Amino acid sequence: MSSKADGGSKDLRELLQLTIPAKSEAVASVTDAVGETLTGLEVPEQKRLEICLAVQEALVNGVVHGCGNDPSKSVTCRLESDGDGRIIIVVTDPGPGFNLASVSDPKRGENLYADHGRGVYLIHQLMDKVQFERGGAEIRMWKY
Amino acid sequence: MDINVRKRSQVQVVQLRGQLRMGPAVDSLRQTMEEAVGAGDTRFVINLSEVPMIDSSGIGLLVKLLASTKQRGGNLKLLQPSKFAIQTLRLVGVLNLFEVYDAEDAAVESFS
Repeated sequence: MSSKADGGSKDLRELLQLTIPAKSEAVASVTDAVGETLTGLEVPEQKRLEICLAVQEALVNGVVHGCGNDPSKSVTCRLESDGDGRIIIVVTDPGPGFNLASVSDPKRGENLYADHGRGVYLIHQLMDKVQFERGGAEIRMWKY
Repeated sequence: MDINVRKRSQVQVVQLRGQLRMGPAVDSLRQTMEEAVGAGDTRFVINLSEVPMIDSSGIGLLVKLLASTKQRGGNLKLLQPSKFAIQTLRLVGVLNLFEVYDAEDAAVESFS
């Protein structure tokens, strides 16, 4: 088992678990519920916004890429905390995952005006630790 | 998301209220802007003062609209983005693509 110092799974408390149909209009309800839970925990606004945006991006990834916008499929988000106030979010979809190496740098010139391709990059920038499991169909994110 | 559009001196001032993110918010703004561009408008000021968060879908829409208006000889400028919106736009490298203003008058007059 990994240690708390590693951002591992020791002494975690589940705060929220929600499952939504894979359609874009359902995503906001989960992001808002995460935000309300964090507000209740008195998480500072900046940290709360960063977590909520990362959750939003992970959910959108799950809906669009993991489920192909098929509302008969579903995406699950679990929010946990350890005793030291660290937040852990796990977003899971039923898809085959994706090749991380295929994610391009959105800051490269030819990508700047693209209308997509920034989600995974943003997650990495906003969170302290990010792990992809099951080939990318499950994303684990830590905020310290 | 609430969207209110006013015209000032041949400039469309688009006031947004709420999160600009995938789903109804981005869809509504896309439709509003496509209708305006279709009607011949190419000068836009997007007021982001009441938009606490913009996700990657919202960013993608804003940069597409920026490119579209510039191709037509116009521009799309941002007014009073929140600290977090600025941080987000900077993180993905697109903040410098936009002209950003603190005051509506200055944003509108910049088109003159």
